[in-house]
Amino acid sequence: MTIVHHPSEETLIAFVNGSLCEGNSLVVATHIAHCGKCQQAIRDLGMIAGGLLEQAEPAPIGKEARTACLSKLDDLPVEDVNAGTQPLRIPAADRAMAPLSLYDSGKWHWVGVGVQQMVVDVPSDTGTRVFVLKAAPGTRLPDHRHVGTEWTCVLKGAFVHDHGRFGAGDFDEADASVDHNPFVEKGEECICLVAMNGHVEMTGWLGRLIQPLVRF
Amino acid sequence: MHGPSGDAPADQAPEELIARIALSQDKSAFAELFDLFAPRLKYFLIRNGSTSEAAEELAQEALLKVWRKAKSFSADRGTASSWIFTIARNLRIDQARRDKRAQLYAMVAEFDDVDPDRPDELVSGYEHARLVRAAMGELPAEQLEVVKCSFMEGAAHSEIAERLGIPLGTVKSRLRLAMRKMKKTLEDLA
Ligand SMILES: [Zn+2]
Repeated sequence: MTIVHHPSEETLIAFVNGSLCEGNSLVVATHIAHCGKCQQAIRDLGMIAGGLLEQAEPAPIGKEARTACLSKLDDLPVEDVNAGTQPLRIPAADRAMAPLSLYDSGKWHWVGVGVQQMVVDVPSDTGTRVFVLKAAPGTRLPDHRHVGTEWTCVLKGAFVHDHGRFGAGDFDEADASVDHNPFVEKGEECICLVAMNGHVEMTGWLGRLIQPLVRF
Repeated sequence: MHGPSGDAPADQAPEELIARIALSQDKSAFAELFDLFAPRLKYFLIRNGSTSEAAEELAQEALLKVWRKAKSFSADRGTASSWIFTIARNLRIDQARRDKRAQLYAMVAEFDDVDPDRPDELVSGYEHARLVRAAMGELPAEQLEVVKCSFMEGAAHSEIAERLGIPLGTVKSRLRLAMRKMKKTLEDLA
């Protein structure tokens, strides 16, 4: 599998920093699970974050707080490493779906001609909705415009739009600047994990007609 | 041994201090690590938006977790400082909102598929840290500032542009230049 489209550096830094909401983190993590390059990239970014920490200007800790902290060590064992405390090693073949498998999801339902949606249960207080979209081969999604952001990681199959071809593992960071009409490649259905902030506006008369049905 | 002020450079690399804790529950190693990292974590957390009290609390909590988990640190997977950063980040997001992000991070950190551009990595975390530090030291101040805003505050490029009063394109190009330089250092090792 050759991955062409990766999250931007800004997005990877925000992921490492912990400033992405959970829904966006899930889609980025799913890309990373597919992508050796980004697995390495986040290790590098973690290293750089550590370097910045080492060089951060110290903000003094009160003497009493320090003493209190050190006095806690007597009752605090250094834990042994055993199977229970180590994350399970996930075999390479199962990695791609591993992040998504942490979450429950609903049932498939039709949201348009040839398109099914399954909501992923990611509790959100930031208004991000996460879902899996399954589109039949050759489906042309209605022309639409993004208000807010829509991050997608392809799980299976491929779609194509103005910015190129997106196959399994590829990451698509669409925002208000993208005005596109994606279509699914012929031959195989396309399944994508999507995190959406804001909403999508259908353009063209057909899109406006089905918008109430699609509601994403 | 250092006093509580803790801004003297460490006699020992933090990786070795953690090893001493893991090996013999060495409290003086912990004290040294505390003086080195707790005040810096506090600063980092304040820059990330915590109040001074909350940052101090979280920094201590993070260091106590370093003590408890010392045996699971492995220097060939990363540097001590990146590990401590990760612990503090996970505590921070868990405190803000109990969700599954820490699980996601733990999961992706374990993945080690081959990077086609960089097949093998044989350098210790300690060596990494030294080189990252050196590369960072060579960055022009204006680039370092943008790197700090991105990493410490998690600020979006547009926010950084607004705060520093520079165009968005300048933020992007400064960050790109800085990242390229630091990554080049890491890539040259492979
Ligand atoms: Zn990638």
